[in-house]
Amino acid sequence: MTHTLHRTGDTDSLQMDFVLLVLPDKDFNAEGSSEKMKQFWDLFSRHQGGIVNYGNCSSGNSHRFSIADLKETKNSILNVVFKDRGGLKACLQEIKDRDFGISIIISGLYEEVRKICDEIGLSPHTVGVSLGFHGKTEKLPDNRVLDITTMCGHHMVSHNLVGKMVKEINDKKRTCNEAATELSKQCVCGAFNPFRAEKILEKMAGLMVE
Amino acid sequence: MRIDPEKCVGCMECQDYCPMGAISGVEGKDGYISEINQDDCVECSGCLRSAVCPTDAIYMPELEWPRCVRAEFSNPAVSYTSAEKFGFREPGGGLGRGTYEMKTNDVSGRFRRGFAGVAIEVGRPGIGTTFRDIQTISMALAEMGIELEPMNPLTAFIDKKTGKVTEAILDETILSAILEFIVRIEQLKEVLQNVRAVSSKIDTVFALDLFTRVNEDGSVPVFSIAKEAGFTCSQATKTNVGLGRPLAKD
Repeated sequence: MTHTLHRTGDTDSLQMDFVLLVLPDKDFNAEGSSEKMKQFWDLFSRHQGGIVNYGNCSSGNSHRFSIADLKETKNSILNVVFKDRGGLKACLQEIKDRDFGISIIISGLYEEVRKICDEIGLSPHTVGVSLGFHGKTEKLPDNRVLDITTMCGHHMVSHNLVGKMVKEINDKKRTCNEAATELSKQCVCGAFNPFRAEKILEKMAGLMVE
Repeated sequence: MRIDPEKCVGCMECQDYCPMGAISGVEGKDGYISEINQDDCVECSGCLRSAVCPTDAIYMPELEWPRCVRAEFSNPAVSYTSAEKFGFREPGGGLGRGTYEMKTNDVSGRFRRGFAGVAIEVGRPGIGTTFRDIQTISMALAEMGIELEPMNPLTAFIDKKTGKVTEAILDETILSAILEFIVRIEQLKEVLQNVRAVSSKIDTVFALDLFTRVNEDGSVPVFSIAKEAGFTCSQATKTNVGLGRPLAKD
């Protein structure tokens, strides 16, 4: 599951997009981790100001469930999405201090993640990097559509739905915020960033002068 | 996925929710209704999950072998039951895309210094693929002598020596699947160049990933190798920050 690796976009846009993943490993430390996973939800509830989405694959995302709901579900993996480095840093600091012993993975600008690690006394252990898209790339849509749809690595947000949302914004049937929320609802595990999607939709709908 | 023609009112609201663009309008008894192209449908349940149908006309029929592999490789809420019958041992609940890759590397030690992980995510982003296109790549990897990662559901359907995919599923269409393996750093440039060469032989796209241990000074050893092979590394990465315990030994 490399579903948060291929988020495209320019540096300014990606400054609004950091995903934190919590994952016990079945062969090493998953046994007895369910209580710790619940504690993660409590921790996240204290950082909600910086969080724009969350969820897990087996249950659903923030549009369907509250943190309190998800705390009581099967939590073999957790996703939390931050809208800026400040929110991520504060949360990661507390996770480090609590020493849960569960693997933490951050998707986002490497230079920022590396700086945050340095600031709070962590060393990046392993990195995954995207080398882009290959093959019949002429089948891919416009880059801005990809900047939105790649925020759901399971591809539950269709390219065509982005076009429909932009049209409905221009037809005054939805606001950019409502359209971003509708797109985000389709991403089952809550890795989609509706905050960033709203900013991209504003540009796509011609509502902002670049 | 299916749409009950007796219930569908032809509002077409569901059409743009399909990641594969498989829903279109057709002539029904009383005007246009929506229908799902069964060749293109990957059984991801996106249309059903969207809950946009005003008459609850969308439903999932029981899926039999080999069509069930569509749901397993396309719907993140479905586990890899077929792959398990072919020997796959699922990690962590078996949902999502079915592999830990580097996410727990701080405890598993799967990717060690001097090695790089490579993942070829066929069909991604959002175009989809047949297993026949996957086979084109897996056969090329087999010719290079590459062994695929056993803890990955796709590997269960691929012959180790030839790279051939189980024949029954060759023409099934899915959203994406990951060919995943580990190579020595010294082999990486050549492997990447060979992967680029095979990209012209498929009728879909793939996303290419590299995984590696970070050097003690924070630098990433594969960045320069990827560049030498003609690839651009993304500025956004996925980083395991080393908080898992017990920590794997180097």
